[in-house]
Amino acid sequence: MAHSHSKTSKPAGPKSKTIGLLAQFDNQESLVAACERARDSGYQKFDAYSPFPVHGIDPAMGIRRTKLPFFVLAIGMTGCVIALIMQYYTNAVDWTKIFPGYAFYISGKPLELSPASIPVTFEVIILSSAFATFFGMWIFNQLPRFANPLHRIARFKRATNDRFFLMIEADDAKYDTNRTRQQFEEWGATAVEHVDEDLTDQEIPKFFKLAALVGLFLLLVPPVMIFRSYGGTNRHPRLHVVPDMDWQDKYKPQQVSPNIGTEKEPVYLYADDRAMRAPLNGTIARGDLQEDDRFFRGYEPGTLPPPAPKTADQSAAETFVSVRGPNAQDGAPAGQDPATGQYPGEPDWVDSFPAPFQVDEKTLARGQQRFEIYCSVCHGYDGNGNGRVNQRALALAATGQAQWTTAKSLHDPAVKVQPVGRIFDTISNGRNSMGPYRSQIPVEDRWAITLYVKALQETGIQPATGATPPQQ
Amino acid sequence: MATVDLTSLDNTIEDGKHRAPLVLGGMDYADVTDAVAGVWEKKQPAIWWPIFGVALSLTLVFGALIGHLFFKGVGVWGNNNPTYWAFDIVNFVFWVGIGHAGTLISAILFLFRQHWRTSINRAAEAMTIFAVICAATFPGIHIGRIWVFYWLFPVPTEHLAMWPNFRSPLLWDVFAVGTYATTSLLFWYMGMVPDLATFRDRSKSKIGQFVYGLLSLGWTGSARNWHRYETAYTILAALATPLVLSVHTVVSFDFAVSQLPGWHTTIFPPYFVAGAIFSGFAMVVTLLVPVRKLYGLENLITIRHLENMNKIIMATGLMVGTAYTIELFIAAYSGVGNEQFAFYNRAFGNFGWAYFIMFTCNVFIPQLFWIKWCRTTPWFMVIVCIFVNIGMWFERFVILMTLCRDFLPGSWFYYRPTYVDLMMLIGSFGLFFTLFLLFCRYLPVIAMSEVKNVIPHDNHGHHGDEHAAHPATNH
Repeated sequence: MAHSHSKTSKPAGPKSKTIGLLAQFDNQESLVAACERARDSGYQKFDAYSPFPVHGIDPAMGIRRTKLPFFVLAIGMTGCVIALIMQYYTNAVDWTKIFPGYAFYISGKPLELSPASIPVTFEVIILSSAFATFFGMWIFNQLPRFANPLHRIARFKRATNDRFFLMIEADDAKYDTNRTRQQFEEWGATAVEHVDEDLTDQEIPKFFKLAALVGLFLLLVPPVMIFRSYGGTNRHPRLHVVPDMDWQDKYKPQQVSPNIGTEKEPVYLYADDRAMRAPLNGTIARGDLQEDDRFFRGYEPGTLPPPAPKTADQSAAETFVSVRGPNAQDGAPAGQDPATGQYPGEPDWVDSFPAPFQVDEKTLARGQQRFEIYCSVCHGYDGNGNGRVNQRALALAATGQAQWTTAKSLHDPAVKVQPVGRIFDTISNGRNSMGPYRSQIPVEDRWAITLYVKALQETGIQPATGATPPQQ
Repeated sequence: MATVDLTSLDNTIEDGKHRAPLVLGGMDYADVTDAVAGVWEKKQPAIWWPIFGVALSLTLVFGALIGHLFFKGVGVWGNNNPTYWAFDIVNFVFWVGIGHAGTLISAILFLFRQHWRTSINRAAEAMTIFAVICAATFPGIHIGRIWVFYWLFPVPTEHLAMWPNFRSPLLWDVFAVGTYATTSLLFWYMGMVPDLATFRDRSKSKIGQFVYGLLSLGWTGSARNWHRYETAYTILAALATPLVLSVHTVVSFDFAVSQLPGWHTTIFPPYFVAGAIFSGFAMVVTLLVPVRKLYGLENLITIRHLENMNKIIMATGLMVGTAYTIELFIAAYSGVGNEQFAFYNRAFGNFGWAYFIMFTCNVFIPQLFWIKWCRTTPWFMVIVCIFVNIGMWFERFVILMTLCRDFLPGSWFYYRPTYVDLMMLIGSFGLFFTLFLLFCRYLPVIAMSEVKNVIPHDNHGHHGDEHAAHPATNH
């Protein structure tokens, strides 16, 4: 054994320190007896070494029960709480901003903790307790400890085989080399030996420090590189290690129709060269049936006059563009026939608000709010036709920088007499130079705005009525 | 070493006056060390190399097929509508079940103070670890998009605001098997540290001294260390005992929590646990009979050990048989047509042949162990145990093949495994045996420190004192 340097083979020089005195015993009974006598002699710092746990040595040495079970209990209970919180948070809480949970119902089980949470909670308790036991035991035992002077003693190798040892440490108050050795021999030791700690090569070599410094520096390189590329810009597309299903052999909208011919003589699958197919004429999207003419279009059913004959260009355009309302085209305003109250060439407009629209405070307030967003910019808050856009446009038109038709005052007698259906139609499809708001404003809101317009018309231009917002 | 005398073979009779020795041949501490360390120090028996060669080749095939699976997708397996689960989960449940015997021996028998376990617990625990490795491979590779395997665990992700579904039995499986693998590994390694220290102290080579020195963490065998070590060992055993019962219970929940006839039964958890112990013990016997023969450990792993294990095999085999019968009865008694059909179809349907193999191997063949000669003759018990493991694999297969005839006769399907399925099953055995052979080669196959604790104190010819069967541990 190259490393062994016992007292007999190599006397301890100034560069070594005595740790203690080691005695060998040949059986466990004499070891237990020696431990008892060591304890009774007042020794505090001593330990026995054996190839297996010797029965009865704990009381003989005065070893107190370890606190390990309490440590394990504490960690196990912590594991239980963590498991419960984890399950509750990840499966029931989804309102947090960072790393929100994912609350969804499945197989009729509640989101919150339920019997379904028991297995994972149980396993986490076991896992955390097992870790606590394993690592706690080593920590309490102050292991791993690789540089132990005992391992340099040749004889001590039998401690893991078939011999029993007792070491009294030199730090012990009662320790005295000669007296302790004598006691060991009295107690039946078959061999006694000094344990020395070699102090000669305890300095960390210089190169090691340098290497550690360089190693630490090199360790910083990958995170710095990752950070740099993460926060910076790059001309190349990002590295796509796993493509998942990001690129597929399929045709998407806005792509060219598949070429079923050759590269030189392409034959496209569809005559119009598009990969996307337009829906058939008359196709209505789900939820867009809108059969109720009163509610969706504002006129009595069946009163829409037949459309004027279209030119070929108009028909082609309407294949792809949805049908416009009956009065969308610009031109001279259709006048009311004073005799019948009807508008020639127009359907029978409804005179009252159609179901399911409800006239009440709530819809009126909604109408005001929507009016002030969409309509007031031109028609003004009080509906007098002098909104901000109108003012600015007129100012520009005065210098010839723009063309502008003055926005209609909603208090105009011609407007005031209009049935609600016609006002609704104006909002939906526009009139004269006003554009349609069909796609911007849902149908209920258009009726709400109509209601508010009617309310404005009833009150007239009176800022005190509340139809005008506070002065800015 | 003394020769084995015939009276010491008859050693399962515990009559109070005569305590059966747990170790034969009057071995003392050094003899135990020499015998166990000899497995590692001496040249391996010639047969080690060919067996290792075959096992390693199969492992490589296994690895290659896993690579094939990753690149091609799970379509290389025979799984298809309606048999979405097939060999992958059959193999998973089979291997997890094998592992259970190891924990039972090391933890439950420890808590019950069954000191005969000391000679076999190390190898059985090693078997547990390797079986769990094989088991975890199958669900690990079946997930399709292997590169996002970490979605199995509750890991916060930056872009994907999603978490595992903690109400799903499949997620419970991840936790149960993960905890089981981890705890078994800690238990196995902790139990091995004192023996690794023996190897460290006996190692002649620098590499051996370094590696075993590192693994044994500077263990000295200090009484203060032993005290905490034994406390920790008892705690781990107490943790592993409910754990092992929970693992196969959770595995059975994969089936029992679903709403399928033939699966949605409350008998599954106990029936799965009994089956797991049954197949696990069969595997321990299958492994230990050749090991004790090849390495000359007959005095440590005695006929008594093998006989005890065979008795457990017989007992659990009867439990499994009872479960099969009760299942049939409950199906008949339930009056539910779908349930009755599921079981009628199991026994007499298109996979009736598998049911026949299962019933024969698991229920009838182990009955041979009623005969003393059968349960004390090593070569014969290995044959029975191999049949048991075949039967237990088929048990899981039979349960899975219930899927072939589901509610919709239009989608009925006769499952056929592909070559990838079959070679992966064989390959997993290759992996298992490779690991086990390496374990025999490099690690202490028998827990020396525990065996030394149960042999008589002064086993130098004159034994028979009352300390012969001291408690394995002092608490």
